[in-house]
Amino acid sequence: MTPVLPQARLWRGLPQLAVAIVVVMGLSTLAPQSGYILNIVMQAATYAIGVAGLVVVLGYCGQISLAQAAFFGLGAYGTALGTTDYGLPFVVALALGVVVATVFGAVLGLTSLRLGGHYLAMVTISFQQILTLVLNNWIGLTKGPDGVKNIPRPPGFERGDHFLGLCLVVLVIVTWYAWRLKTSRLGRAMQAVRDNEIAASTCGIDVFRTKVLAFGISALLGGLGGGLFAGAFAYISPDQFAFGESIVLLTMALLGGVQSPFGALLGTVVLVVLPEWLRDLKRYYLAVYGAAVILIMVFLPDGIWGSVAGRLRRVRAVEGEVAPLPLLSQTGVESAEVAMRITGLAKHFGGLKALDGVDLAVRRGSVHALIGPNGSGKTTFINVTTGLYKPTAGRIELAGRDVTGTAPHERTRQGLARTFQNIRVFRGMTVLDNVMVGAERPGNDIAEKPAEVVARALAALDFVGLRGDAGRMVGTLSYGHQRYVEIARALAGSPHLLLLDEPAAGLNMTEKHELGLLLRRLKGHGLTILIVDHDMNLVEQVADHITVLNFGRRIADGGPRDVLRHPDVVAAYLGEPRRDEAA
Amino acid sequence: MIDLVPQLLFTGLGIGAIYALVALGFVLLIRAANVVNFAQGEFSMLGAYLMVVLASVLGVPYYVALPIAVAIMAGFGVLFAGATYWPLRSRGQLPVIISTIGASIFLANVVLIAYGPSPAVLPGLFDNEGFEAGGVFMESQYISIIVAAALLVLLQFLIFEKTLLGKKLQATSQDKEMASLLGIPVATMVLITFAYSSALGGLAGILVAPVLFVSVGMGALISLKAFAANIIGGFGNIPGAILGGLALGVVETFGAAFISVPYKDAIAFALLLLFLLVRPQGLFGEKIAEKA
Amino acid sequence: MSMTVTRRGLALGTVAVLAAPHVARAADPIKIGCVFPSTGPAAEAGKLQLNGAKLALEDVNQKGVLGRPFELVIEDDQTTNPGAVLAFSRLASQAEIPAFIGSIRSTQVHAMAPDVLKIGKPMMFGGTDPTITKMGNKWLFRCRPNDSYSGKVIAEFGVSDLKKQKWAIVYSTDAFGTNGGKALEESLKAKGITPVLMQGYTNNASDFSAVVLAVRSSGADILGSYFTFEGDLGIFARQLRQLGVRIPWVGSPSIVNTTALNLAQAALHGTYGVADYAVDATPASKSFGDRYLAAYKALPDNQSSWTYDAVNLLGRAINDAKSLEPEKIRAALAAIKSYAGAEGEYNFDEFGDGLRGYNIVRNESGKIVFDRRIDMKA
Repeated sequence: MTPVLPQARLWRGLPQLAVAIVVVMGLSTLAPQSGYILNIVMQAATYAIGVAGLVVVLGYCGQISLAQAAFFGLGAYGTALGTTDYGLPFVVALALGVVVATVFGAVLGLTSLRLGGHYLAMVTISFQQILTLVLNNWIGLTKGPDGVKNIPRPPGFERGDHFLGLCLVVLVIVTWYAWRLKTSRLGRAMQAVRDNEIAASTCGIDVFRTKVLAFGISALLGGLGGGLFAGAFAYISPDQFAFGESIVLLTMALLGGVQSPFGALLGTVVLVVLPEWLRDLKRYYLAVYGAAVILIMVFLPDGIWGSVAGRLRRVRAVEGEVAPLPLLSQTGVESAEVAMRITGLAKHFGGLKALDGVDLAVRRGSVHALIGPNGSGKTTFINVTTGLYKPTAGRIELAGRDVTGTAPHERTRQGLARTFQNIRVFRGMTVLDNVMVGAERPGNDIAEKPAEVVARALAALDFVGLRGDAGRMVGTLSYGHQRYVEIARALAGSPHLLLLDEPAAGLNMTEKHELGLLLRRLKGHGLTILIVDHDMNLVEQVADHITVLNFGRRIADGGPRDVLRHPDVVAAYLGEPRRDEAA
Repeated sequence: MIDLVPQLLFTGLGIGAIYALVALGFVLLIRAANVVNFAQGEFSMLGAYLMVVLASVLGVPYYVALPIAVAIMAGFGVLFAGATYWPLRSRGQLPVIISTIGASIFLANVVLIAYGPSPAVLPGLFDNEGFEAGGVFMESQYISIIVAAALLVLLQFLIFEKTLLGKKLQATSQDKEMASLLGIPVATMVLITFAYSSALGGLAGILVAPVLFVSVGMGALISLKAFAANIIGGFGNIPGAILGGLALGVVETFGAAFISVPYKDAIAFALLLLFLLVRPQGLFGEKIAEKA
Repeated sequence: MSMTVTRRGLALGTVAVLAAPHVARAADPIKIGCVFPSTGPAAEAGKLQLNGAKLALEDVNQKGVLGRPFELVIEDDQTTNPGAVLAFSRLASQAEIPAFIGSIRSTQVHAMAPDVLKIGKPMMFGGTDPTITKMGNKWLFRCRPNDSYSGKVIAEFGVSDLKKQKWAIVYSTDAFGTNGGKALEESLKAKGITPVLMQGYTNNASDFSAVVLAVRSSGADILGSYFTFEGDLGIFARQLRQLGVRIPWVGSPSIVNTTALNLAQAALHGTYGVADYAVDATPASKSFGDRYLAAYKALPDNQSSWTYDAVNLLGRAINDAKSLEPEKIRAALAAIKSYAGAEGEYNFDEFGDGLRGYNIVRNESGKIVFDRRIDMKA
């Protein structure tokens, strides 16, 4: 029986969703029609929708956004102005506000193309500040600092408890969506981008598109929360959506746990209700707020929910038989066909010629080794080939197609896969999720079928002997096993050409031996492998062809015996004795 | 008689020098510890309030109070590092960014509780308000800020390029692993940078106070612009921060005069967004790339 | 059967308990709900508002209201609009509170107004945005002159007393400044004068040289201003003098408040300001000032005077109404004529505006001197 992971089930959580909707609708009938309690709950509910957006952009995708209050404000103003000034029905105005927020969110996401971390923080702050200025000063449109009054609610929801019910139902749906998103293909892609952009791009993830989507979804949820907020309070003004509020929303997400929408919900409720309860501390609570942010970062990095969930988390083995990797059932020998052809490849860093006109042809089905002393340009070669560096000159063809100018994920779509010398696994994810990202390589036959993605990932883990560790966090594995996770991740995507960048680096003797056996098991199934290493034992064990680089130039090319006896190669290695203990 | 353009240029440079001065403190932390400190403006605010307490409340003479305030700020920098940076240093950039944002809210509100929202007055270095020359009113405090910024850049250059401590700091900022292999006490170097950055921020606040008054919000106001100056100039680049600050000051002053006063800050931030989109490495910056 | 009876009895009992607060008991205080800031940027001002209200409490409780004392119930608005809404809803949920004292900030009053209308009980407030009382909300009563009057008074004083025609108007683009600037512009237009410069700025501007140069090159011979923050006012005043602009300057109340005087020092000497409260304006304001000084060792300003009046007015209205019924209190408030308060003489109009006059004060080398009081017709 093929194992089915719960998260692979399409309708997972739907019954719970339905129950939750009925429950909150029932609860909302108990709410008062106006007054303090109603206001507090309404504020918490609408804020929580906006905070769920932060979970997506910051928690899943790892992109900091200090403008969530701005998106909240765009949604609120769209709804408010749409209903009061333009006489639109509430739902239409709300949709308008959400669309405006989403568009601005996506545009901000565009700036994340080349910028991360502090740049993004600054971009989002700038946007936040500009929006506040516009809301205050474009009086003709926004009514300026006076704000918008008498915002109506949709027909049938005029009563406080009814509108609260609406807000709660939306909140439940949003929370469910954000929770489902995390275990979806897009969610995994976001988390991969968060944990390691470079590895994500070589797994076929369009990093840029993923970030823009994360920003868009986040802004959409922000706008949705804001629109409902406008309906809830009937009055909005620019100061409700200023920079300080973005910080408040961020703190809510961090306190509860930014990795989970349930955490965000918890954080929002705590921070809306707590200051109301602790009114005796009122003189101090903003200071307490700031201190809390630091304390959370230091002592509760996963937030309240994350810490509790982390404690309760049990590693469960995934039971059931899986079919072996399709690759292993194929047979194939080396053919004359060229899987990858490199011509005149050059890469210069300033005056340094890391690669200086290298030609190389990798035949389909062969194991081709690229060797050379330290600094000979091997890793640069892999990085240029996979698209991480732009070549200074030359041409790269995959199966006859020119891919020289394309992005890394484009090449992965063409069937290229790689591992890294310095391991690049997705540290915030489980072993299985890491390999599932690989299986979801665009162009892979089963990439679109969730159940088979799980089966394929398990098969790949089976192959490298880590099936039993599928549920563990990848960071808890040994160095050698993390390397195997990388190999499994690459294999799960059924690549045509596999690039192994110094796979033996950092392994002990036993592990190296195992690696050699593993690579030999891969031979003869039609998979083309380009292996870069300076471990001669390993290379001699597996290579059909060897190309030798030195000082960025090719100095030898051919069968293992001939190449290793080549005088230039011997000379090149004389300066540096054969190192079996490569660092 | 005052001439429009030269006057705007002078004030723009004066305001720009304020941004540059605060930006200098930013740059050091980025270079030595890879920390983007969102509480840098609060260093300035704290420095100015310390000076108010020392000079105005306790009656310590100005030129005695100044070094005391700066020294206290240096000590505070170490404390700040211990709370917001040290425990998080191995967890990447984002947690540190967030904790410095938390620190900035915390510091501003603690001072708000202690001093209330009303701004306070701090006298300048000179009693004379300024003088008119060549159609420009030269405000003496702006002149002292511009001179101080120039001196501090020179001082920073001398420390970094001409002293052993400077070399060690530089080595630390370039490659922490390598530096520690060479026997440089990396932790001490990072703490020294925090102390220096905090002292510099405090000094900037003291110099700026006679112009902008001393208020809880003064830090947030300047630091956002200083941060923008930093990006415009090139992240982590010292001459870039100075020029970026001056450019921002001049552009926003002229923008206010010729485009729109209320949208003055929007002009500054739009300039920043433009730079981020078109030339994210800034005027003098290095290419942004991660090694595979 | 017996079960039903018990339940019914229980239900009746509950109703009786709930209704109890409405049945006047002589010793029970009448609670007045107050939305004042005690956190956020206006925390300091909140303290002053409370001071004024407490002083009035002594007055009212000497004679009592319907034989009962007043008691203030304070909720913090955190100096934010949502904070004000929450604070008000906390007060509104206490059924025994017959009337409220709202905020001095217009946006907060705007934010609370729909809830005030919903609950249908009078609220005294101090926000000066003229539109607040024009929204058809009959429960709002203003205890300060609104901005249209400050604009009218500034225009009247500048044109009739100072004899100036070429006006430059500088205003903050926040709610207060925008409305004030607009009101002054309209008052001037009513006199057939179009200002030569309308110049807005954003709060916390840090540099005003562009504004000052615009004032200078406009050729104005008088300056009217609406500044919100004293820090901005101080920087503007200093740069104005530095760049050689010496025209007469009549400003909104912030130009004469203590912080501004302290920050700007000599740069504000010789300016005029409008103030809704001035110690020397009337006997009532004088006596309030003396009592405040005795109680708090400081001179009062408008933050305290309006809450002082608000509590007194409520006391009087409830006594006049002889009832705690909101509608009767409202009618009694609306009927108040010629009440001499600390802020001036109250005559509530059909909109709920009680005052129509301002005091002109002068800054004589740092001392604020009462110049004259200008009352406008409704």
